[in-house]
Amino acid sequence: MPSWQDFQPFIVSGLALGGVYALSGVGLVVLYRATGVLNLAFGALGAMGALITWSLIKAGVPGWLSWLACVVFAAAVTLGYGIVFGPALARRDPLVKAVATIGLTLILYGLADLLWTTSGGQARSITFPTDNSGFMVGQVQVNWTQVIALAAGVVITVATGAFLRYTKLGTAMRAMANDRDITATLGVPVRKVEAAAWLGCGVLAGLAGLLLADLVALDATTLTFLVISSLAAVLIARLRSITVTFIAAIVIGLLHDLLTPVNSLTNYRDMTPFVIAAVALLVLSRHQVMSQSREEA
Amino acid sequence: MKRLMPAPSARRTIVLAAAIALAAVGCSSSSSTSTPAATSTTSATPATSATPGTAAVSTSQCGTKPGVAATGTPIALGGIVTNQPGTSFTDIANMANAYFACVNANGGINGHPIKYYIETEQTNPAQIAADAKQLVQTDHVLGIIGNTSIIECSVDSSYWQKLGYYIIDSGIAPECYSTSNSAAVNMGPRYSSDGAVQYALAQHASKIVFDQSNVPGTGYIAAGPAALAKAANVPIVQLTENVPISDADSVAIKEVDDAGPNGAVVLNFTPPEALVILQAAQKLGLEDRVKLWGCSTPCNTDFLATSLGPKWNSKLFVNAELTPPDVTNTAAMNLYKAILKQYGSAVSGGIGSFSQMGFTEAEIAVHALETITASSYTVANVNAAFKAVSAFNTGMLCQLWTYGAYPTHIPNNMDYTVTPDNGKMVTAQGCTQISSVDPQIAQYRSVAGTAQIAP
Repeated sequence: MPSWQDFQPFIVSGLALGGVYALSGVGLVVLYRATGVLNLAFGALGAMGALITWSLIKAGVPGWLSWLACVVFAAAVTLGYGIVFGPALARRDPLVKAVATIGLTLILYGLADLLWTTSGGQARSITFPTDNSGFMVGQVQVNWTQVIALAAGVVITVATGAFLRYTKLGTAMRAMANDRDITATLGVPVRKVEAAAWLGCGVLAGLAGLLLADLVALDATTLTFLVISSLAAVLIARLRSITVTFIAAIVIGLLHDLLTPVNSLTNYRDMTPFVIAAVALLVLSRHQVMSQSREEA
Repeated sequence: MKRLMPAPSARRTIVLAAAIALAAVGCSSSSSTSTPAATSTTSATPATSATPGTAAVSTSQCGTKPGVAATGTPIALGGIVTNQPGTSFTDIANMANAYFACVNANGGINGHPIKYYIETEQTNPAQIAADAKQLVQTDHVLGIIGNTSIIECSVDSSYWQKLGYYIIDSGIAPECYSTSNSAAVNMGPRYSSDGAVQYALAQHASKIVFDQSNVPGTGYIAAGPAALAKAANVPIVQLTENVPISDADSVAIKEVDDAGPNGAVVLNFTPPEALVILQAAQKLGLEDRVKLWGCSTPCNTDFLATSLGPKWNSKLFVNAELTPPDVTNTAAMNLYKAILKQYGSAVSGGIGSFSQMGFTEAEIAVHALETITASSYTVANVNAAFKAVSAFNTGMLCQLWTYGAYPTHIPNNMDYTVTPDNGKMVTAQGCTQISSVDPQIAQYRSVAGTAQIAP
């Protein structure tokens, strides 16, 4: 078993990764609560945005403008999808809505593979100026990108919570989560509220894609399917609570990385999101069944 | 309490999301794998010496009748390459095709153009077997060259053997090297990893950490480096990573922690995965925490050197199974570059190991076809010619290349080590033989001997 000192660097990397998972998870939950859509294209949107950023940087476009392009692309495509397909899907079962986003995933994934081919073993990367500077915590090197990733997760979670609680638009989103039709009859412009949710989800997809391209890899396959870890956090939160999503995402990121130095478990660490999600869902279900039984008694 | 229970529709969504997540993981984890690679040991004469006056090479040199297009009956050849998200070897076949286009435009093979059929596959055994049958039964190919696939050698080896085909390929699977009817121009991941570990041992690394993709065949690859480390009495830690790698920081930290300050970390990954690990190490300031970093052939690309930057100059040492293109000015290298420029529009990676492999395989095939004196070309005489290739100077390898009637084939078993130098890969060590400590190399040399060094 590794010593405490051996685990320390993995806490830093786990927190950074967990922060980005949290950011992604919050985006998924907010959209689901407002529209009933579980956006499975979240990772693909970030992936393509990040690849666009890479191309722009390579073409000599200034870094900040290229990073902005990633967020703008993801936001625009997500908003466009929401405006075009949102109304048609509004009254469909959430299963149908979720499956519809797989179509967008496949289109983006195929396009990314076509436009940024990996033929010839090409490798791409995005780096931030914050990658090569940082500070030491004990014996552990922490770079500013890792700090930004964790901070982004915290800030987005807190800001989204405040937004949903204290703003008119946020209140409207929460109302729509309960009942879209009743909310509409109360005079809430549901289309506009939904569009805002789509836009917010797209912005977060772009931000997450950009951060993950630096922290993990700039690869369409990797980034498209990294949404799965966030999805596990969202499942634990039962598609409702952004606070639980944040905590679950951090726990997933931490546990995943803390298993790395344990030789007997290191090859199974990619199962972490699913194991945690499965255990959490089983425990929650059991708790609810027991609660229902007590109520019935 | 009932409020906590999601609505039935939400519950269905949760179940769907979980199912999709699991399915997606299954798909993604199989998409990125090992790459054709190489290996080496024991110093010999570097074949990278510049030859004055060879810089200006015309593509008309690739045929026997410059400027005369071949119009005879086509000679059909074929190849099967992996092409899937994360892993594509199409550049190898496309470069071979570019070479054939050049030959066809300059007289062909005694007036016969080469018609090259390329089949792509997605690591599906049934599809690969069907591709082979398509080439033989529908396209009526007389020879197979340019095969580069994660599992093709394992799937089709006995089929080719039964039909009498002698394959010239870029090998990955063990059967590309351990059978009588496959001879590769590259060394493959095992022997390339041998070469990288061998270099680290020569630099007196006190411990080796060998890390590679968690894909079928890792045990076979790992056996080589393990044998070398054992013979040198140096401890070795073997690691595998699920790909695509989603936690490069953790991977880099573990490698460095396991290796220690006088140890070496040796990677065997595709360029994207290797880059991810090396960049993570750089961001965490880990590049100087070990004596040196090593990598098998796939890392030998200029874009990797460019992406990494100067911190890795003389810190990362990459095994290179083909002659370094940046610092070589020979006739063969210049012809390769000229063909690539004129006919290689489909070669997306440009100059690099993959296109060099395609060039070399096509070059050998053309050389073999030109030795056939019969009035017609058949499976029998084409494959006999392939098998008869002996001591051929490809201009791309350290040694002269021989097919031969051997039970196993590792005709490329001597190569270079390169290191990044401000965005380019430069030679760190000239032609060096892969150690016979690897039992597979020893077995091959016992029957084929040691090939002569290329002039």
